[in-house]
Amino acid sequence: MSDRGVLSYLLITLQPDNVIACFIGAMIGTLIGVLPGLGPAAAMALVIPLTLKLGPTAGLIMLAGIYYGSMYGGSTTSILVNVPGEPASVVTTLDGYAMAKKGRAGAALAIAAIGSFVAGTVSVIALQFFAPLLARTALAFGPAEYFVLTVLGVVLLSNLTGKSKIRSLIMMMAGLILSTVGMDPIGGLERFSFGIETAQGGISFIAITTGIFGIAEVFEVMAAREKPMEILPVKFRELYPNREEMRRSVAPIARGSVLGFLIGLLPGPAATMASFASYGMERAISKHPEEFGKGAIEGVAGPESANNAASGGAMIPLLSLGLPFTPATAVLLGGMLLHGITPGPFLLRDRPDVFWGVIGSFYLGNAMLLILNLPLVGIFAKLVRVSPRYLMPVILVLCVIGTYGDNSAFFDIWVMLGAGVIGYVMRKYGYQPAPLVVGLVLGPVMERSFRQTLIISGGKIESLWESPICSVMWGVALLSILLPLIVPRIKAGMQGRPKNRV
Amino acid sequence: MNPRKEIASSLVLILFSLTFLVYTTRYPLDDWANPGPAVFPLLLGGVLLLLAAWQLIRALLAPGKPDREERKSSKVKALKAFLRENQGEAKVIILTALLILYIFLVQWLGFFVSTFLLVILSSRLMEAKDWIRPIVLSAGVGLFCYFLFEVWLKLSFPRGIVF
Repeated sequence: MSDRGVLSYLLITLQPDNVIACFIGAMIGTLIGVLPGLGPAAAMALVIPLTLKLGPTAGLIMLAGIYYGSMYGGSTTSILVNVPGEPASVVTTLDGYAMAKKGRAGAALAIAAIGSFVAGTVSVIALQFFAPLLARTALAFGPAEYFVLTVLGVVLLSNLTGKSKIRSLIMMMAGLILSTVGMDPIGGLERFSFGIETAQGGISFIAITTGIFGIAEVFEVMAAREKPMEILPVKFRELYPNREEMRRSVAPIARGSVLGFLIGLLPGPAATMASFASYGMERAISKHPEEFGKGAIEGVAGPESANNAASGGAMIPLLSLGLPFTPATAVLLGGMLLHGITPGPFLLRDRPDVFWGVIGSFYLGNAMLLILNLPLVGIFAKLVRVSPRYLMPVILVLCVIGTYGDNSAFFDIWVMLGAGVIGYVMRKYGYQPAPLVVGLVLGPVMERSFRQTLIISGGKIESLWESPICSVMWGVALLSILLPLIVPRIKAGMQGRPKNRV
Repeated sequence: MNPRKEIASSLVLILFSLTFLVYTTRYPLDDWANPGPAVFPLLLGGVLLLLAAWQLIRALLAPGKPDREERKSSKVKALKAFLRENQGEAKVIILTALLILYIFLVQWLGFFVSTFLLVILSSRLMEAKDWIRPIVLSAGVGLFCYFLFEVWLKLSFPRGIVF
């Protein structure tokens, strides 16, 4: 890194291009979070060709804006309609919607926005300390450590997504298998491309993501019968939490911010994990646990802060190790590679402008969302009512354009359609698409590091667990496999405690 | 998940992983000191096979657990419920066919004309009540895409016999 201070790099965010990119990204993100049909990962994938026009910093800022903007949008629908826009907002439905039913929707939305803003700020400050530290540690990572880290990510992710661990693992394997299509990363031999020229470079990540999230969602909405949606009204004068609500939210926001950030550092779906962990913690330490699920403001303040802090924290493994552990950060990685930027330990040294520019945009974006979303929340809430019969055709066209725009190849549109049909059938059979997308991105890193480890050690398989870092990571992976087997027994012993529907 | 669905999906996955494993043997394995391009796919295929087999065994060992809806209803009711649940599938099949047709049409009619038709037809398929709104929507989407992607972003889309 050069002599310029971190602050001067953070100020890069304030350049007009970047501010506009941040604004557009945050707005698109909020819309995506509110509207059904496209998740953040698919939306980011679609916007990638557009960001190429903007250059790396502004482009990535826009993608990051969509990422955290969707968190805001997701909270809005969780609170007003009881429909979580994305998994990290699931827990918000418990108390957020209960608050809305009591006529405190405005206060819940405001606390969610304030909590997210505070947590975003905490995570930016903490990133300044952790990111360089982790980037230095990452330099000590050899291929064996990278391999074990990806395995750890696979194990942790399968624990936390969907209802069935085995089905998550199956989806992860499917993603890893798809990643083997195209050139072999060591020898360059062509695999599983069946003579198709476009497939030689590998299966298009954008085609798979838009198909599996976008097209499959269109199919699902189409197959489902339209249900009238009850949206709870928000009055402007209710938008401000009262003194009591503010007082009760301060500690959960602070705890959620720290907890969320720490969880964000771990491989796995950090934001979702953080929101559930924060909810559990708040309920455990609350003097009124019986209020949880019935509209306790702590149940909104804690998780909403935690998921935002975690999405900041999750940028650390992405930016300093180059490893994404959520579909959205996986797309962000794809975007970086298209912009000619390789995330990893050297990013901070070689491109501090991009690194800190993106981090700084988190802060700016959160401030923008806070200022914009509070007055506009009523409009966003109304958008939930946009009829799918007009929205879905538009999403179809966007998916086609995003996919075609990536490589100008018709083959990719076929892949997108195939992924859409398979993704729809998978959902019907209870298989979640998120682990597949992460597997698709982690695959090449996993294979390369696995084979490099064996080549360097002359075929010694024990080199995969010999180093202390590797041993610790294997230990954590093993624990996360064993704990879910033990925890239900402990829980069974604690059945007398009140339970909430999660 | 319904055990029948679990068994069916496990069988499909087993079949897929076996086909994948057999296909992988076309590539060289080499040795541990210099693992070839087949090693990693073989490991993945093997793990997928094990997972799918485990899921199948679990589903087979847990028979008398039909899901709540099935338990409650008689055969006639179950059939009715099945038809009601799956009446949307016809639309999914029609839309898939429409998209296949669209991909072929793009190469003949060009991107903008085909997309114009796709938006109108898919909107009608989603039970839009009249023709005017889908046509206006489609024209709007087409113009927006033309100016944003082709004029501003300089992405070139396939042209056909008309435009």
